Amino acid sequence: MSIKDFINSLVNNKAEGELVKTIFISLATSFIVLAVLYFLKLKYIENFIPKYGFYLFFAILSYAIILPSVRYIRAYKEFTCMPGMMIGMTIGMVAGFLSGFYVGSTNGMFIGSIFGIAIGISFGMWNGKCCGIMGAMEGIMAGLMGGIMGAMTAVMMLNDNLKIMGIIIFIISGFVLAGLNYMVYKETRETERRHKDEESFIIFISFILTSLTTWIMVLGPRSILFG
Amino acid sequence: MDQGVFYLDKMAKNLFYLILVILLILGAGYFLLGKNNDDPGIIIGEGGEDYQKVVLGIKNYNYYPNTIEVKANQPVRIYLDKSVSGCYRSFTIRELGIAKYLKTPEEYVEFTPTIPGTYGFSCSMGMGRGTMIVK
Repeated sequence: MSIKDFINSLVNNKAEGELVKTIFISLATSFIVLAVLYFLKLKYIENFIPKYGFYLFFAILSYAIILPSVRYIRAYKEFTCMPGMMIGMTIGMVAGFLSGFYVGSTNGMFIGSIFGIAIGISFGMWNGKCCGIMGAMEGIMAGLMGGIMGAMTAVMMLNDNLKIMGIIIFIISGFVLAGLNYMVYKETRETERRHKDEESFIIFISFILTSLTTWIMVLGPRSILFG
Repeated sequence: MDQGVFYLDKMAKNLFYLILVILLILGAGYFLLGKNNDDPGIIIGEGGEDYQKVVLGIKNYNYYPNTIEVKANQPVRIYLDKSVSGCYRSFTIRELGIAKYLKTPEEYVEFTPTIPGTYGFSCSMGMGRGTMIVK
């Protein structure tokens, strides 16, 4: 069960084999939603691309790396306490931090925190409950912390290489989620798959997340500094 | 044999998805990351013999203009207009030992730069930043 085995398993016909495909489905859905919104409404907004393009792009990439892990975890449904808590914490923290960071960059600390907390807690609790209340609690706490920290980091870096930091945080989060996927792989070698999400599940969640993020960033409330 | 064929087939499919992912990221990235609207702006201190007056506002989440040009050995007064809020009103030039909270747009920070050079200014937390050039 080495990393090499895990990489080889990315082409099998089990849950691991769906990871790359899920990234593609999420990205395709999100970019189609964004393209439709752009041609219908967003292109009439002054400075839309320079102001929001970078942050929307990375928010969409973030969802595309979080959703494969969510689908992978749901495939096995139940985990023991320690891996379950790790799942809740990682998903809650990464989802909260990334969404809080990118929304905080355009809307300020309050809205960024609220959005990050909402996304972080939802994902953290949803995935952490795979081991019961301990994982769910861990997910809630990590989502709360990640959401606030993401927005706070963004606002404090507004004039200090914010965009480079956005890229660094995204890359590190990608490695963290790859590590989580490897952990799930190791923990489930003796377990049968218990659930299969259809592609429509990923399409639906990507649609909701991208629409919501775009709406909040462009039309949502913002702090005085971002007025 | 069958398993080998299946493996290659599945690998080709995933490789295909991977290529599509990369193309999507490159395509959308080109569209969404291509433009930048940063405009730092420069202001030159103005005023009579008594002092050089500089008024700063906020644009793109930073002091605007964020480059100030002033003359050496002549007092400088820096005002922050009403668009400046929060910690940005706590104006600091660390190298000159200046730190003052300018509560209203009428308040100002006054100093006389004596040594020509480039000095950084910021808010107390370092979130808003700019440069003062003393000539």
